[in-house]
Amino acid sequence: MFLLPWLIGFFGLTLGPALVSLYLSFTNFDLIQSPEWTGMANYVRIATADPKFAAAMSVTLTYVVLSVPFKLAFALLVAIALNRGINGLTLYRAIFYLPSLLGGSVAIAVLWRQLFAGDGLVNAALSQFGIEGPSWISHPNYSIYTLVALSVWQFGSPMIIFLAGLRQIPTDMYEAASLDGASKFRQFYKITLPLLTPVIFFNAVVQTIDAFKAFTPAFIISGGTGGPINSTLFYTLYLYQEAFGNFRMGYASALAWILVVIIAIFTAFSFLTSRYWVHYDD
Amino acid sequence: MTPRVSRRNFVAGGAALLSLGALGAGNALAQDSRLRVLWWGSQARADRTNKVSQLYQTKNAGTSINGEFLGWGDYWPRLATQVAGRNAPDVIQMDYRYIVEYARRGALAPLEAYVPAKLKVDDFDKSQIEGGSVDGHLYGISLGANAAATVLNASAFEECGVDLPTQATTWEEFARMGAEITKAGKRKGMYGLADGSVNEPLFENWLRQRGKALYTVEGKIAFDLDDATAWFDMWAKFRQAGVCVPPDVQALDKNDIETNTVSIGRSAASFAHSNQFVGYQAINKDKLSLTNHMRIEAASKGGHYRKPSMFFSISAQSKAVDQAVAYIDFFVKNPQAIEILGVERGIPESAAMREVVAAKLDPQGKIALDYVAGLGDLVGKLPPPPPAGAGEAELALRSIGEQVGFEQLSPADGGKALVDEIARIVGRG
Repeated sequence: MFLLPWLIGFFGLTLGPALVSLYLSFTNFDLIQSPEWTGMANYVRIATADPKFAAAMSVTLTYVVLSVPFKLAFALLVAIALNRGINGLTLYRAIFYLPSLLGGSVAIAVLWRQLFAGDGLVNAALSQFGIEGPSWISHPNYSIYTLVALSVWQFGSPMIIFLAGLRQIPTDMYEAASLDGASKFRQFYKITLPLLTPVIFFNAVVQTIDAFKAFTPAFIISGGTGGPINSTLFYTLYLYQEAFGNFRMGYASALAWILVVIIAIFTAFSFLTSRYWVHYDD
Repeated sequence: MTPRVSRRNFVAGGAALLSLGALGAGNALAQDSRLRVLWWGSQARADRTNKVSQLYQTKNAGTSINGEFLGWGDYWPRLATQVAGRNAPDVIQMDYRYIVEYARRGALAPLEAYVPAKLKVDDFDKSQIEGGSVDGHLYGISLGANAAATVLNASAFEECGVDLPTQATTWEEFARMGAEITKAGKRKGMYGLADGSVNEPLFENWLRQRGKALYTVEGKIAFDLDDATAWFDMWAKFRQAGVCVPPDVQALDKNDIETNTVSIGRSAASFAHSNQFVGYQAINKDKLSLTNHMRIEAASKGGHYRKPSMFFSISAQSKAVDQAVAYIDFFVKNPQAIEILGVERGIPESAAMREVVAAKLDPQGKIALDYVAGLGDLVGKLPPPPPAGAGEAELALRSIGEQVGFEQLSPADGGKALVDEIARIVGRG
């Protein structure tokens, strides 16, 4: 009885639409006329006759592969620095967490556009050193990296989790190690990292899934086009274009299910390999 | 842009819903007198539209009108989902680009039966009425006419000592002017022209002067490899000569007034539509002016056309088609309504209403009106409504044009890619 609201939400808002979209992925549905069953046609087109699918997939994989490791490394570094017991820790925690809270917001994406545009702050700073930078966000060779930078900057939520993880490591281990003459560096590699692997694992999985689903920054920065030249055509952005721009909801549903499968494969792979590098004590 | 509903309408809508609930949904009278109107546009447009709706309500007791508006980008997803959810508004603002798409899918109500008794559009320009027709049925009533135009930063031209182009100016001469402005270097980072290679209306204008078009009446591609290659080639030369902005500056333009290269101070000339002039001048400190697209040769003509800037259509699902028709008729033919609306949606199609509006225009509105009225031999026939897939084709021009701009493709390869891609898109239907 008490589960009822949750159950209604789950079936009505999650499972129901998911099943409908699975059905739609086998149809030709233009949002207006009734869906028309076409079997595997959508999936066949994705696999054989859709260059934009390949482009979107490659942009997204680049983004995942670059943004997740950098973001985690950065988050860990800041967490370690904050863990040193400095004064006003809570204040710093809040400040560093702030970008994550604002992260998905349109305002930040707009701000990013301003920073990296041709006459933005970044180029203004570069020009102090006599360097004339391109318009980073609108040059196909660089635009994706500005989005990676935006993602790394939003390191707050993995950082907070790292911080909690660091707090769990018993201090007497470090004391024993330093008595044995181990350097700080060695302590990090032999104690901190191994004991932190469950947290790293958790963060990596969550951040990877998030990165696959990234949408807002690319949507805002490219004005919904994924340009210039598809260089910011994130998978979800392409899906959105197909569904609502080109009235191919059936095709977009098929794209969505392929994304589900890819994320599932990545996650399963992480879990399978985790037994070799994640250490759970006791 | 985020969806915006004026608070008053939101409250009114809620109140109407509540009263409906109280009366019971079966009460046909209460349902019929409630009209939903959806449009895209700015706050200024919303204010004007809501004023007209209020005026209509005071003249038609018992009718309540719920207006709702969004930005262009959010508008089409919203409309598509509402139509799919059998919850479409009664009166829908429709664009020339999408009217075929919606009409062929049966989402719009045919209106020819209401002409001329209920929809008194007899003094409309004939071709503008045809513009709202698809497969012999009338699906949209034009709310105004506009035309593609070149926006000039007159102050910048003057500073550089370059005369403004005239109706006789050719592309060759315009390119020379652009190069001069770039070379003068009066303002940091300012070039002569925007890079127009990715601008579809401009490309269409250029094609029409060559005797071609974007699409045939049957909705097939109407230009070939030579045209597309020559187009990209012209712009590649412009880029090399410093006539127009580099590609990474052009790519900042998201196809709206705020990010246009003239608005961000990176070019002295760029390409837009006449009814946007009011908006351009509003956000530019310099004095702007409006002129036609250049001639490809001194004798070439017919590139421009008077385009229905937007339509009002009625949903095929509407239960109040008669009321919706009456509302639209009021919107385009009532002098008081026209005075409120001005030329913000383009110049009124009705000859009588044009006279009403001309008497009361602000300077920017006057410039736009004079521009469209004075195009002379540059005006040709209205092309047929673009086929389904036209929106996708426009993105293709943009993407391929950028590849040529960033020199990932030669103009010849770009031309081939463009023809292939557009043929594929409109062929799929």
